[in-house]
Amino acid sequence: MKEREIDELLAQATKDSATVSPALLERIAGSIKPSLRPVRPMLPGWLLTGGLILIAIAVALAGAARAGLSGIERLTVFERALIFPALGVLLWASAAEFAASMVPGSKRRFHPGLLMALVCLVLMSVFVVVFRDYHTTHFVSAGITCLVAGIAHAIPVALLSWLLLRRGFAVNPVTAGAVAGTLAGLAGITMLELHCPNFQVLHVLIWHTAVIPIGAAAGAFIAWAPQMRAGFRAP
Amino acid sequence: MAPDGNLEILMAAYQGGDFGAATMLIEQLSPQLHRFFVGQLASRRDADDLLQETWLLIHKVRHTYRVGEPVMPWFYGIARHVRVNHYRKASRVALHEEQVETPSELAAPTPGTQGATNELAELLAPLPESQREVIVLLKVEGMSLEEVARATSSSVGSVKQKAHRGYERLRERLAAMGLPRGRRGGLS
Repeated sequence: MKEREIDELLAQATKDSATVSPALLERIAGSIKPSLRPVRPMLPGWLLTGGLILIAIAVALAGAARAGLSGIERLTVFERALIFPALGVLLWASAAEFAASMVPGSKRRFHPGLLMALVCLVLMSVFVVVFRDYHTTHFVSAGITCLVAGIAHAIPVALLSWLLLRRGFAVNPVTAGAVAGTLAGLAGITMLELHCPNFQVLHVLIWHTAVIPIGAAAGAFIAWAPQMRAGFRAP
Repeated sequence: MAPDGNLEILMAAYQGGDFGAATMLIEQLSPQLHRFFVGQLASRRDADDLLQETWLLIHKVRHTYRVGEPVMPWFYGIARHVRVNHYRKASRVALHEEQVETPSELAAPTPGTQGATNELAELLAPLPESQREVIVLLKVEGMSLEEVARATSSSVGSVKQKAHRGYERLRERLAAMGLPRGRRGGLS
């Protein structure tokens, strides 16, 4: 059987599908009439993306300025030229994806899992190229300090981003949560690259990068939890 | 199907609070949205409920549409969300009903309402949900690959793959049923 013949079958089955009753259409129109007021459309995507990037950079800069900019001060020009443009591109990609996830029918470039994996992979590749110190001094204690600092800076970014996009509507809240978490995690890691003077490869690869998957997982979980609670409340 | 440009104008007027535009949108798009739900194996009654629920949600989030963006993926993105939520709720209810162990004859659906689907649903029944959805949007609703990708939050490549696999399954099923070429021989 050819594709055209299946198309014909589908067309015929579609013709046979019953129409909507006029009474139902009237009921729908009647139900929206009382609350029909002019609304202000959401801001353009580029503006929301720009806002999200600004929030992430502002929080990272403020955090690093408060804690000290010893990380960026110790980096060479070559190292800075590799790390910060990479962070900028990834921030832009995550912010654009997050802004798109709040508008139904938007063009999506990355699956949230793929986005998170790409972000981690790109950053880890840059860190492997840039850093050459293979010591593991105070690996756990120094690592946990950085991880906590990164997450602590990701939280305000997530909250402020939610404030900016609160008028949006996510058709898939878990996906939107994961992307938001990735963006917040990137803000956290930006702060760490500005502040942390520990350039041991394993420290940066593991503890700095870990902020991103933790952020994405936390974002997805926070979006998923209300759905789960609703499940427990089901009749 | 109304041209997208016309729908865009109506959508902008709807956002401006024009009840006439809202009514025209409801009249133009409801049959398509209803067919989308029926094609996903919803009964007529469920499809009616889903349609109402979809319009209420469209009304609530109408500010998220941006003039200039494709209209159909926006509508179907919302319709899809309503359908998925409905499916989840129905699954939860079914789970609770099983736990209560209600006698089956009391819980049985009324003939001609709950189980009533049409030929479109019957034809697409053997397909997995994701393939069925893509075929309904592409072939029944006449959307482009790009529009389906937007409505389902996936890539064009993934839509193509699902449509191809769905067609393969349909072809196998129809061949197994021995349908004469180019003629509808009844699917039940």
